Amino acid sequence: MDVLILAAEACDTAKEIICKPGNVVELFEHKEALFSIGPFDFTRTVFLTFLAMFIVLAALFFAFRKPKVVPGKFGVVMESLVAFVRDDVAKGTIGPEGSKYAPYLLSIFLFILVGNLFELTPFINFPLTSRMAIPGMLSLFTYLIFVGVGFSKNGLSYLWGIIWPKSVPIGLRWLVGLIEFVSYFFLRPLTLAVRLFANLVAGHLMLTLLLGSGWLFFASVGDIGVRAVIGLPWFAFGLAIFVFEFVVAVLQAYIFTLLSAVYIQTSVHPEH
Amino acid sequence: MEEIKGAIALIGYGLAAIGPGIGIGIVVGNAIQAMARQPEAAAVARTTMFLGIAFTEALALIGFVLFFIA
Repeated sequence: MDVLILAAEACDTAKEIICKPGNVVELFEHKEALFSIGPFDFTRTVFLTFLAMFIVLAALFFAFRKPKVVPGKFGVVMESLVAFVRDDVAKGTIGPEGSKYAPYLLSIFLFILVGNLFELTPFINFPLTSRMAIPGMLSLFTYLIFVGVGFSKNGLSYLWGIIWPKSVPIGLRWLVGLIEFVSYFFLRPLTLAVRLFANLVAGHLMLTLLLGSGWLFFASVGDIGVRAVIGLPWFAFGLAIFVFEFVVAVLQAYIFTLLSAVYIQTSVHPEH
Repeated sequence: MEEIKGAIALIGYGLAAIGPGIGIGIVVGNAIQAMARQPEAAAVARTTMFLGIAFTEALALIGFVLFFIA
């Protein structure tokens, strides 16, 4: 119950009208490890990472252990997810050779989806992807794949096509090339990671603030009496944001996968 | 000094949200127009709309992250 502990410190429900989390920066700091094996610290985030991995593996295993002609309800959901990533995202964006990248895209899609949905899971209440290391690592994988594919498919003409674009008038080529170079090799991985991270941090903070405030005002009804009604709009607003965050969690997983596919596509067919 | 720093970061985030706010409005508005005019191309328009939103939104989110760093 991280959320409530964060909001509970230094909140005077008799004077304040909203309980803001005491130390927001704590979200970005390295938490005390639960236990360590050698140089590896095991924190809550590490456990949640493994939990997300096992959930994805178990879902895929139980859905496709015995493939049937007419799958059950769970099988239909998983099959439509797999078909969506393979046909719409991978083949739809990259083209016919996209099915080669479908396993990677499916892995990151399901992992990010489960990690994002932890935000809304009772008693976990913590989006895995709101730790910069996780979106950072995933975006590093995408970066290595699209740069690797670009060089292995097109050789050095991949790099040359970026820093010396033929379709631009010669006087401006160096400028456009410079912008394109920075955008391809620095801004792409950075924004890919920051987009996912910041969306989930924003959602987590908003839920903490609203639901935590509502809960604290309700909980202190014995001390402050009728002032506890202030908690009602916060709680109602928090529930509305809760539904909205569900959409954001699914959408951000989709966008991360889609952008990975788009970046790979620009390396496979650099002329477009 | 601490208080002034916080206030400036808030104003900075507010400024960073203006552009992307207008931009996302334009992207979604035009995507809806495209879907209404050509319902058979709605799937393509929707995918491209999400891409456009993602690229536009990045600026606001960088502002949001800088708010915490500043």
